[in-house]
Amino acid sequence: MKTERSMTSRERVLAALERAPVDRTPVCNPTSIATVELMDLVNAPFPNANRDPELMARLAATGYTELGFDSIMPVFSIIQESSALGCKIQWEQKDNWPTVKMSEPIWTEADDITIPSNFLTHSDTKCVLEAIRLLKKEYGDEVAIIGKTMGPWSLGYHCFGVEPFLLMSLDDPGKTHLALDRMKEATIEFGIAQIEAGADALTLPDHATGDLVSGEYYKRFLRDLHIELTERLPIPLIMHICGRTVDRMGFIAETGCAAFHYDSKNKPLESMEAVEGKISLVGNINNPETLFARGPEEITKEVFGNLEHGIHMVGPECAIPLQTSIENLKAIPAAVKDWHRSGSI
Amino acid sequence: MKKILDIGKRIELVPLDLYFENISIALYSQKDEQGSFYLVHTYSQIPGVGKRINTVINAMKNLGGMEQDNMGRLRFPCKNAHNLAVKRVFLEACKVDPTEKVTKRPLTTLDKKSGLQINLLRSGNGEYQVTAIGESREKERRISFIAGGLMKLGELDEVIGSLDRIFFPCSSNHDEMIGLLLLRAPNVRAILRDQATVAGRGVLAAPSQQDL
Repeated sequence: MKTERSMTSRERVLAALERAPVDRTPVCNPTSIATVELMDLVNAPFPNANRDPELMARLAATGYTELGFDSIMPVFSIIQESSALGCKIQWEQKDNWPTVKMSEPIWTEADDITIPSNFLTHSDTKCVLEAIRLLKKEYGDEVAIIGKTMGPWSLGYHCFGVEPFLLMSLDDPGKTHLALDRMKEATIEFGIAQIEAGADALTLPDHATGDLVSGEYYKRFLRDLHIELTERLPIPLIMHICGRTVDRMGFIAETGCAAFHYDSKNKPLESMEAVEGKISLVGNINNPETLFARGPEEITKEVFGNLEHGIHMVGPECAIPLQTSIENLKAIPAAVKDWHRSGSI
Repeated sequence: MKKILDIGKRIELVPLDLYFENISIALYSQKDEQGSFYLVHTYSQIPGVGKRINTVINAMKNLGGMEQDNMGRLRFPCKNAHNLAVKRVFLEACKVDPTEKVTKRPLTTLDKKSGLQINLLRSGNGEYQVTAIGESREKERRISFIAGGLMKLGELDEVIGSLDRIFFPCSSNHDEMIGLLLLRAPNVRAILRDQATVAGRGVLAAPSQQDL
């Protein structure tokens, strides 16, 4: 359905998050679209662009100013709040992602979980909040600013280690529920701080991924928790879980999240059927094979495949590889515009 | 601020230059009525970056036998595209220490695995024969392997029915380029493996997939 006038990028994204009418499908990145070439373009390289708010904002803005996406998402990594919680971080160089040293977990018991009093003033969380403020001030009227707060399952992996956390969920579900409940407070604190800083929406990655966690597991441990998060974080939430997730999309659609950022391992049609119109879908353009290794023609094909099935927002499936070419990234908005020019909505 | 340019298709990237401020340097391919061209480009604007790009261009001219047009683009004298081979020329040019003189690679190399001295004999019209001097039980196998390595690295074709003769599809000689490829051909598997590892850097894995 078309609206009368051309919408701003911000209006377009916010409308699509509500499944309201849009003038064209928004191109939206709930996760990073930073590349090494964009870092050079604005002289904001990793790892500093994850730690300095001015660099973070400058690099993130290129998604809108240079590539033509309808959103700006400055939280490139998945480690900012884990760093503030006390995890050791391997910051890497410009061409690689910072990661949590999960082999050196900081907690072993639910009772170990404490959110430090400086959680929001720690340099790595503060950096995100400052970057959002800067972006809101410069682009807030025209483009959707998307923040990110990691869900408690992801924090569990970071703070307990992947294997110990998964084993705990098998051996002692009660303790796992307690741990998730406590870690959830970090998700909420960081989320609320980003809302106050000016975020229009929040990505909520919670890595109950298809390779290790079943749909039933998601329902048992996370669905109710995610419902609580949508109640306590009063802006649109975009749930992000990598991998094959059709078996839990129905549960995710019941959480009250505005959208689900879905992986290319799920086909657009089956995903639309799974969510039954209760939640928007965003993402799906394959990273390693298409965006990184192929060219605009293949990207256009995937974009069209999403649009033809009524996917609400198009974008990469996850944080893009840092070596992705600019040409390929620009092919996404170009394909969306071409599709709409050819007369379908 | 510098803007994104429409400069062709990016075919190779060095994400982190060892010799100048960790910038990224890319190789773009272009095609027009005059043939296939390659452009070395960086989006960095750090003072001194132009000199670094020129160093890489000059190294490519030497190592690949390429020539430069008045727009700064490189091409092979045959005017044809050699997209796979030129990637190797570019990667090697970026590895060259800028303080050292760049020398063209000869059509000979020592195969450390067999101890054989491997030579390339130019047959004309872009055809080369791989030969070996020395004694080794593996002689024929190594010749065939190295010919195969050159084909993989440079998109050469084999002369049908031959295990040691290969040719460039453009039917032109490329002594500098094949000399450079010859240096890597005996270790082609390791080279391709390294290439895949470098390309795989910068791909964010879910926490459950991270090995930390």
